[in-house]
Amino acid sequence: MTLEEIIQLMLDSFFKILIPGLTRTIPLTILAFSFAMVIAVICSLIEYAKVPVLKEIVRFYVWIIRGTPLLVQLLIGFYGLTSIGVKIAPFTAAVLVFSINEGAYCSETMRGSLESVSYGQFEAGYCCGMNYVQIMRHVVLPQAFRTAFPALGNSLISMLKDTSLVSNITVTEMLFAAQRIAGRTYQYMAMYIEVALIYLAFSTILTKVQKWGEEKLNYYGGA
Amino acid sequence: MTVLEIKDIHKSFGDQEILKGVDIKVEKGDVIAILGPSGSGKTTFLRCINFLTETDSGQMVFDGKTYDMAKMNRKDIAAIRKKTGFVFQNYNLFRNQTALGNVTLGLTTVRRIKKKEAEEIGRSLLEKVGLSDKTDLYPSQLSGGQQQRVAIARALAANPEIIYFDEPTSALDPELIGEVLSVMKRLADAGMTMIVVTHEMDFARNVSNRTIFMENGVIVEEGPSKEFFENPKMERTKEFLRLEDSRGIVK
Ligand SMILES: Nc1ncnc2c1ncn2[C@@H]1O[C@H](COP(=O)(O)OP(=O)(O)OP(=O)(O)O)[C@@H](O)[C@H]1O
Ligand SMILES: [Mg+2]
Repeated sequence: MTLEEIIQLMLDSFFKILIPGLTRTIPLTILAFSFAMVIAVICSLIEYAKVPVLKEIVRFYVWIIRGTPLLVQLLIGFYGLTSIGVKIAPFTAAVLVFSINEGAYCSETMRGSLESVSYGQFEAGYCCGMNYVQIMRHVVLPQAFRTAFPALGNSLISMLKDTSLVSNITVTEMLFAAQRIAGRTYQYMAMYIEVALIYLAFSTILTKVQKWGEEKLNYYGGA
Repeated sequence: MTVLEIKDIHKSFGDQEILKGVDIKVEKGDVIAILGPSGSGKTTFLRCINFLTETDSGQMVFDGKTYDMAKMNRKDIAAIRKKTGFVFQNYNLFRNQTALGNVTLGLTTVRRIKKKEAEEIGRSLLEKVGLSDKTDLYPSQLSGGQQQRVAIARALAANPEIIYFDEPTSALDPELIGEVLSVMKRLADAGMTMIVVTHEMDFARNVSNRTIFMENGVIVEEGPSKEFFENPKMERTKEFLRLEDSRGIVK
């Protein structure tokens, strides 16, 4: 192929790759990250408040997830489950595995941020007559969230890129689409670079959003 | 009228007894200064009487009720805290709240006062401590003296029977101490009941009406401030005052 033909191919395939990005990669990222946040808040609060038994369960969960490869978790979540008779769609399996995986990492981030809020904040709250839940809600959690925000943003961006792994469990996301075209045209370099550029565009947008959010949250100096 | 009475309070950390039977009786409008060398148990005493630290034994009479301080339940503690204020050495302002938010948070959450009304109260309290132009600033944007004045406004918000101060000016640069002390003096003049742990001898001598000297977990001497400073009875008190005096001169 001449260079012009390659460029033409990249232009022709652009939407074929972008559309799975908009219909698969982005929804997967948004859904899984939202569930992950719910898991992270619950798990980090359990660990922070040292709830007996539950906190052991959380530790076990985090230990398993952080100690095993994401790709293996995905394979278990789809092929593993399917092979033992659980009917699950690839996309659903992907959302499930990413939620659980990301939830574990983010709960560690949240716990660290919660623990960085000084105990004096509690004492001040108690002296104002507030109870534990009120102090958590109005004082500690907002501060912890502020501290955790940059790290959570980074996790989100990593996750967006990691969703390329779900091509391994037959979800037709961007990498899957690019691979299909590459297989047909043998233009592996062009297709992989093209898909890389689209990922780059997505993560650049997220990075901008993250920076903007940090500035919004920066109102109390962070210190 | 007696606002607060503490009888025979004991507290140990490990095998070290920090409070060895302290009694105190506070009348309405009293401003009580507590003096004492470092480690004598002053902070521990204040923390015990607001239940930030558990007490081993002792009695509290507050608001017409008698409590066994070793066996407090959550409800009683909450009820007492709603009628007391506490000012910390290091301010402990809520870092995610503005000056106004710090003052109103207790009002809106604990007392369930409407936000607008709470803010009106908050603004007038911040005005009282000379900060009406700082209502929307966060603690990190305020000087130490300003933060401590916000903390005082926050303590006032609950309209407390008594406010406890734990060395409110010790963390401040010398040039900021005056603004905090003058706010406290105004409170005292307005009849607020206060217990103030302090190293500020002038405040103890001129603003407080009673002074207590504590050492090693016991009250060594107490009396009306004028008398306490002009005519201390115990040898140990005289020595302490001499020491503080010489420190003051060095300053
Ligand atoms: N949580 C704690 N655990 C163990 N020991 C403690 C604890 N809090 C205080 N102490 C000890 O109790 C003693 C009295 O401390 P406290 O802070 O009440 O003194 P203080 O009179 O306020 O001193 P300062 O003037 O330095 O503030 C000290 O020996 C201190 O080390
Ligand atoms: Mg102290």
